[in-house]
Amino acid sequence: MRAKRVLLLAIAAVCIGTLGLFAGTAPAADSYPNRPIQVIVPFPPGGVADLVGRPFAAALEKLLNQPVVIVNKTGAGGAVGHQAQAVAKPDGYTLMVALSSISFNPEVDSLFGRPFAYKLSDFAPIALLSSDPTVLVVKTGSPWKTLADFVADAKKRSGEIKYSSSGVYGTLHVAMEMFAHDAGIKLRHIATGGGGPAMVALLGGHVDASLGGPNVCIPQIKAGAIRPLANWGDKRLTALPDIPTFKELGYKNTEFYIWSGFFAPAATPPPVLKVLREAAAKAVQTPEFKGAMEKMETPISYLDAPEFQKFWDNDAARSFKAIRAIGKVQ
Amino acid sequence: MDVSFQNLVLGFATVFTPANLLYSLLGCLIGTMVGVLPGVGPLAGISMLLPTTFGLNATSAIILLAGIYYGAMYGGSTTSILMRIPGEAASVMTCIDGYAMARKGRAGPALAIAAIGSYAAGTLSVVGLMFLAPPLAKFALGFGPPEYCSLLVCGLVVLSYMTGGSIVKNLSMIALGLMIGIIGIDQMSGYFRFSYGLVALGDGVGVVPVAVGLFGISEILATAGAPDRREVIKPRFRDLLPSKRELKDSVGPISRGTILGFLIGIIPGSAHIISTFVSYAMERRMSKHPERFGEGAIEGVAGPEAANNAASEGALVPLLALGVPTGPITAVLLAALMVHGISPGPLFIKEQPAVFWGLIASMYLGNLVLLLLNLPLVSIFVNLLRVPYRILYPAILMFCVVGVYAVNSSMVDVGIMGVMGILGYLLRKMDFETAPLVLGVVLEPIIEYSFRQTLAMSDGAYSIFVLRPISAVFLVVALVMVLLGLKPLIKKTKDWRERLTEAERGA
Repeated sequence: MRAKRVLLLAIAAVCIGTLGLFAGTAPAADSYPNRPIQVIVPFPPGGVADLVGRPFAAALEKLLNQPVVIVNKTGAGGAVGHQAQAVAKPDGYTLMVALSSISFNPEVDSLFGRPFAYKLSDFAPIALLSSDPTVLVVKTGSPWKTLADFVADAKKRSGEIKYSSSGVYGTLHVAMEMFAHDAGIKLRHIATGGGGPAMVALLGGHVDASLGGPNVCIPQIKAGAIRPLANWGDKRLTALPDIPTFKELGYKNTEFYIWSGFFAPAATPPPVLKVLREAAAKAVQTPEFKGAMEKMETPISYLDAPEFQKFWDNDAARSFKAIRAIGKVQ
Repeated sequence: MDVSFQNLVLGFATVFTPANLLYSLLGCLIGTMVGVLPGVGPLAGISMLLPTTFGLNATSAIILLAGIYYGAMYGGSTTSILMRIPGEAASVMTCIDGYAMARKGRAGPALAIAAIGSYAAGTLSVVGLMFLAPPLAKFALGFGPPEYCSLLVCGLVVLSYMTGGSIVKNLSMIALGLMIGIIGIDQMSGYFRFSYGLVALGDGVGVVPVAVGLFGISEILATAGAPDRREVIKPRFRDLLPSKRELKDSVGPISRGTILGFLIGIIPGSAHIISTFVSYAMERRMSKHPERFGEGAIEGVAGPEAANNAASEGALVPLLALGVPTGPITAVLLAALMVHGISPGPLFIKEQPAVFWGLIASMYLGNLVLLLLNLPLVSIFVNLLRVPYRILYPAILMFCVVGVYAVNSSMVDVGIMGVMGILGYLLRKMDFETAPLVLGVVLEPIIEYSFRQTLAMSDGAYSIFVLRPISAVFLVVALVMVLLGLKPLIKKTKDWRERLTEAERGA
């Protein structure tokens, strides 16, 4: 009986104590962050955005002392998630890790004359996390040994060389058409359901060329199944030191990256953005995040907000031009 | 590939560490649960658990996730048989005859045969995976858009046998399904089709909400609307096990379903659900008593259940042999390997023997565990039917809503499920079969894009379909089957449908 009473008392004390704790934290609402943060990933688990976003969120969690939860809000090639972020309350509790394709939708929407799902000015870029150039690849048995062979043949047989992409107005489609426009050639586009299926189409010999990020292409290159011709970056890849960039070969306007970045809604208050910028800068330096990115063979390319904005502006301008060159697909 | 005794020993040695054994069992257990819960399918289950595997090593992670994947195919049949609610999309066909069996008090045998069929198919497919992965992967890569399109045309001819009842009603259901399948962004041009400004409809109407709505929600509505209280059949122990005859009748469907499912599974871009449709149609076509289908034919449970298990393991062939994912589930499995620093490619089996052989060994073990887990569960599950409807059905409804929402965190999907539930209810009242509608929704995007991709490849020349050998073979088979179907016109023999109508008229 006595023991029971003591137990009850103890429980009551704990309850009151916890209440007091909550009461104690409540007035400090202005100190951001004081509750869990949600990070939207507009692609399904296992995609690039998800694989970069999760270790990044884990690193942020420790730095901000609040849970940082990934929410995969998928659909319409990322547009559903981008739109959700664009209309989210700009209080710093709904953030997003998105990919280069975030720039495409508004231009495609304007091409089709439909209302914008979102505008690029709806977002405040916080940090660039990674950027990987795509690589142009052909089957090992193909007659093209160099990019010059490929371009020469494409000029001879205009519109006959087939390439597979991740989907219409997707990253791989935009990158390839950017190059085709620059080189003045016409290729035949076969849209597939994603980066994986695009590679399957090339391996099966159903198309003549394809492209993809290093982590998709390099295992197949190592196995001797496909041959790289050039990469879209501004410098050679460490894993493929013999493969030139398009820029080196004289295609000055051909530059494309599959990048991932950390975003907030545009109207987020500057003090909150400052906290997030500082946290992101520290997060990319943590051994956990570095280790995770190393394992995936995705190099970290961190840029702070102002530089990221500049990078993004240039990148979006190049993509817009490529999308306009593609025009409406019939 | 070098299938030596040594490699298998390496595999089993990898699995029989306490940790890996635990992850294998855990995967099978979660998989069964994922399969049983309506709405939550293997894709959602694996996706949600992917982040928790980041802390494990690569072998444990892939063993756990693969366990969820093939385990879900076991669990999926449970609610289909007991309540006509597909636990995951690939169990839609099981609803038809499995539930009819349950209504006759044969739920136990149906569940047992589903488990045994799944076990046989699962184990045989691992054998196939072990010996034939590299050559089969090469064969699978030969399937481009033209081959796929011709295969589906051939499949559709078989599928016209799928369900009983009026052909006109079935065809109109397929047409409705195809129309629903058109909704969404056109993958070839980027146009939004029939999305009415809803960005969330851009990816189209998902199979999961449609299947759960048409079968599950409509069943709940129909039960609530039924005036008489349905009698709860108390099964005796003897009734839990399949009879000798039922076992004998299942051998053929299970072996055919296994081969069919495995072959369909390895083809890039195919869905497990298609293998179950084709298996069901084939069993019906081959049966001496096709009129029994839909009324509780054990073959209609055994074939599709074997097929979906075999297909799920077949889909691992291109992933493991070539390192290319051919569907969303294998893409998540690939990601699970990539976060551990393994980039699977054509050299995967050679460079990572412990991971590959560990996975193979874990699948032998996992399938056995699942059989041992599922057979005793039969008696427990059958007893679920004794729970009063006023408690059981609201609980199921809640699981449906949560499950469908969880897949994409999308309320639009829940709305689709609701609309499909009401539609399904109305269709049942008017004696329409809903399985062809699901089939239409599944096939529309695949047929349409493979057809248009083919024409994009050939620059509009239709000759590509007959110039490519594999594609030509499928078209010839389809033609032969159509001609066989026309035979009664020339030679006066009665089709089983006519016999059935005559028998009904007589009775």
